Amino acid sequence: MRVLSWVYLALAYAFVFLPVAVLVAFSFQDGRLPVPPFQGVTLDWYAKVLGDRDLMAALANSALVAVVSSLIALVLGFLAAHALARVRLPGSVLLRGVLIAPMTVSYLIIALGLLTLFNQTGVRLSLWTAAVGHVVINLPLCFAITYAAMGDHQKNAERAARDLGAPEWKVLVLVSAPMLAAPLAAAFFLSVTFSWDEFIIAFLLTRFDVTLPVEIWSMLRSGLSPATNAVGSLVFLVSVTLVVVLEVFVFRRVK
Amino acid sequence: MTLARSEKRLGWGLVAPALLWTGAFFVLPFLAMLALSFARMEGREVVQGFDPGNYIRIFTDWTMLKALINSLEITLVVTVVSVVLAYPLAAIIAFRVPARWQRLALLLAVLPFWTSYVVRSYAWLLVLGQNGVVNKALLGLGVIAEPLEIAATRTATVIGFVHFFVMLLTLTIYANLIQLSPNYARAAADLGAGRWAVFRHVILPLTLPGVVTGAFLTFVLCIGDYITPQILGGNAELTLPQLIMLQLGRSGNFPLASALSVVLMAVVTLAYFASSRWLRLDRV
Amino acid sequence: MAQFSTLPLTALALLAVTSPSFAQELNALVWCDHTDPALIEPFEEKFGVTVNLKEYEGTAAGLAILDQSQPGDWDVLVIDSVDVGRAVEAGYLAELPADQLPTANFFPELVMAENNTVDGKTYAVTEKFGYNTISYDKTKVDPADMEDMAALTSGKYDGRIGIYDYYLPVLGLVALGQGVNTADITAETLPSLKDPLMKLRAASKQVSDVVSAQTALATGEVDIVVGGGEWLTAVLAADNPNLDWTIPKQGGLRWAQSIGVVAGSTQPDLALEFVKYIVSPEGQAKLATSSCYWGMPANAKTGDALSMEQRAVLRWNEQPEFLKRAQLYPIPDAELDTAMQDMWTEMLNQ
Repeated sequence: MRVLSWVYLALAYAFVFLPVAVLVAFSFQDGRLPVPPFQGVTLDWYAKVLGDRDLMAALANSALVAVVSSLIALVLGFLAAHALARVRLPGSVLLRGVLIAPMTVSYLIIALGLLTLFNQTGVRLSLWTAAVGHVVINLPLCFAITYAAMGDHQKNAERAARDLGAPEWKVLVLVSAPMLAAPLAAAFFLSVTFSWDEFIIAFLLTRFDVTLPVEIWSMLRSGLSPATNAVGSLVFLVSVTLVVVLEVFVFRRVK
Repeated sequence: MTLARSEKRLGWGLVAPALLWTGAFFVLPFLAMLALSFARMEGREVVQGFDPGNYIRIFTDWTMLKALINSLEITLVVTVVSVVLAYPLAAIIAFRVPARWQRLALLLAVLPFWTSYVVRSYAWLLVLGQNGVVNKALLGLGVIAEPLEIAATRTATVIGFVHFFVMLLTLTIYANLIQLSPNYARAAADLGAGRWAVFRHVILPLTLPGVVTGAFLTFVLCIGDYITPQILGGNAELTLPQLIMLQLGRSGNFPLASALSVVLMAVVTLAYFASSRWLRLDRV
Repeated sequence: MAQFSTLPLTALALLAVTSPSFAQELNALVWCDHTDPALIEPFEEKFGVTVNLKEYEGTAAGLAILDQSQPGDWDVLVIDSVDVGRAVEAGYLAELPADQLPTANFFPELVMAENNTVDGKTYAVTEKFGYNTISYDKTKVDPADMEDMAALTSGKYDGRIGIYDYYLPVLGLVALGQGVNTADITAETLPSLKDPLMKLRAASKQVSDVVSAQTALATGEVDIVVGGGEWLTAVLAADNPNLDWTIPKQGGLRWAQSIGVVAGSTQPDLALEFVKYIVSPEGQAKLATSSCYWGMPANAKTGDALSMEQRAVLRWNEQPEFLKRAQLYPIPDAELDTAMQDMWTEMLNQ
């Protein structure tokens, strides 16, 4: 049983990393096509990608949209979760339903709905229209994660703090949030991940300034190239670095 | 009484921002789209009105109906396979991996999550291709004599999807497993329950809400995804999102695209009610 | 809590004020070959402006984008030459000063006055063209077979064919295979193309966009791409010299794209300069060899600006004969267009 577990773990990791490994390997391809046979190692594609103005702009756009939209979603979601977990509001089941609803809807529908609304109200598409869409998809996620994590344990601690005379904002900031640090962080980073990686909303709701997935999509459509592999590998490298840094400097401290 | 009332005011105040956002940027857009789905195209002109023609077409035109069926089939297979693969992985990380390595193990398991989604689908195309790594390895090992035709088929789409959702589900299931107090299992074992019985009657029911939440998320994300079938499916068949994007991207037929989206939404809503009633998702 | 409840409003306000168009930005709605920095940067530097580019696919989608825009949002439009009339009819193109365009230097077939001119007024100018025919790997198939479209459905190449996912050229090719000229595709003749199309689909392995078609051809997933041409194989030529293309005896399709100034542009002079740059030999050479796809420049004077290798890949010297044997895209009205797209969708999802 124990051995079987480790074998399963190894196979799972192999499956999860297989495409990434192939992606990275062929980003060094010394030839125009990122497919076997492997023709030798070159860094040319990385130089090309790093020198690509549009791609670098898209990278910055993506980071901006991801962080801003996730922060908004987290704050809104946390406050709503706190209220619904603690206060008995009339129709709270319905309220929860409404807040969760966007999660039950495909991104494509959210994108098309917003596109229709923006078209009809004459709002010009930009990075921020995409960010609005990203808040819509991440708000239910942040709400659900924090709401699910609010157990009796937290409620008791909050009640104790309140009984000791702490005003509500202090309870929120000094008791609830720290007790929920792990789920809040999870919600935030999951949101960042979703926003960072999201394609269809960003594709339909942006105009000239686009996010990275959209830029990569147009790269992809314009031809097969190890440059696409290089972008993917770079994004991967940046993400890994970020995750390691977070792990070492943020999560360790929180614990 | 006053306390309860001020509590309520506070509660409403805290819910209001999220509610307003959802109303303005989710409910309202959806209503706009719903209205548009009853409009009709005359040449390039959108004629507003109450015309159920788009819906009649969706359910009578075999091409459209087939796209819906394809989407449902793919999504169901992907959801089931992903849960079945992810649960053991999450459990192994939660119970077998030493506590101090768990975070690292989990991070590793979801790291490719952070590569670009679009690129990942394309990487699978390179992996599964006729000359891809999988075929080369299997041929080299003598397992197969002819290269497998995986790329540009439904199988490729499913593999691409499962890859993504195994990572997602491992995260959510792990988060649930780790919150379980070992005391439950221990108590059950003390009462004479075997390993399987402990899992079946204690661990599984306790983690079910998390599993269902994750599976439902999988269903929603999968059935609405355009990229994976577009890149990996080779247009061997159409899914609903591909059909919607065709209407948007080529025909500029917003009313039909809206109607198809409403149908997509209805399917997801049905699935939601079905699963929430059966599995008590609403009490998570 | 007031500060929170105003969030959505603040966001809306933000949305309303963002991206005002500065005088020094040119907004162009284009095909993907225009997004190559090598093409755009020389213009940007010369005029000290920024060119904002938005790609679109398919005329209907492009016109839909224009439908949803405010006047002044766009300055330049790239559009399928056969669809210039539709854009003019919708009032989206402004008249161009014909005397400032180098059409005298164009390949005669590419002036395309019947498409670019409406009621004696010029609204667009052809910038690039090429062929949708049959691309193949000459080591895997018998090149002689490729001269006859009937070979595709003869059974010999079953499962080795890829179809380019664009309904107009492929339906046009299917029509040629049936002896129907592209101009004669009508609501009456269209149904007769359904069987041959489905037969072609049955013999093929996949229907794919540009990249998937390239991947499939380069990796040997398929050996033939119907609807392909120099634009598909030129990018791969350096790595895989075995890839070739031909115009079969039944003929092939000629695609052409035009460029024009959008009506209501806030900077028509700059937009015109951009159009003139694109059709100048310098712009033409860069457009012909753009990173997205290659294609022949409409301006015949471009030859000197291209290297011998580039001219060879583009088959510069064989153009007179190719032009003779290729027909234009079908030009469907809205109704026929819908019928064609529906048939295509049905084929995709059969």
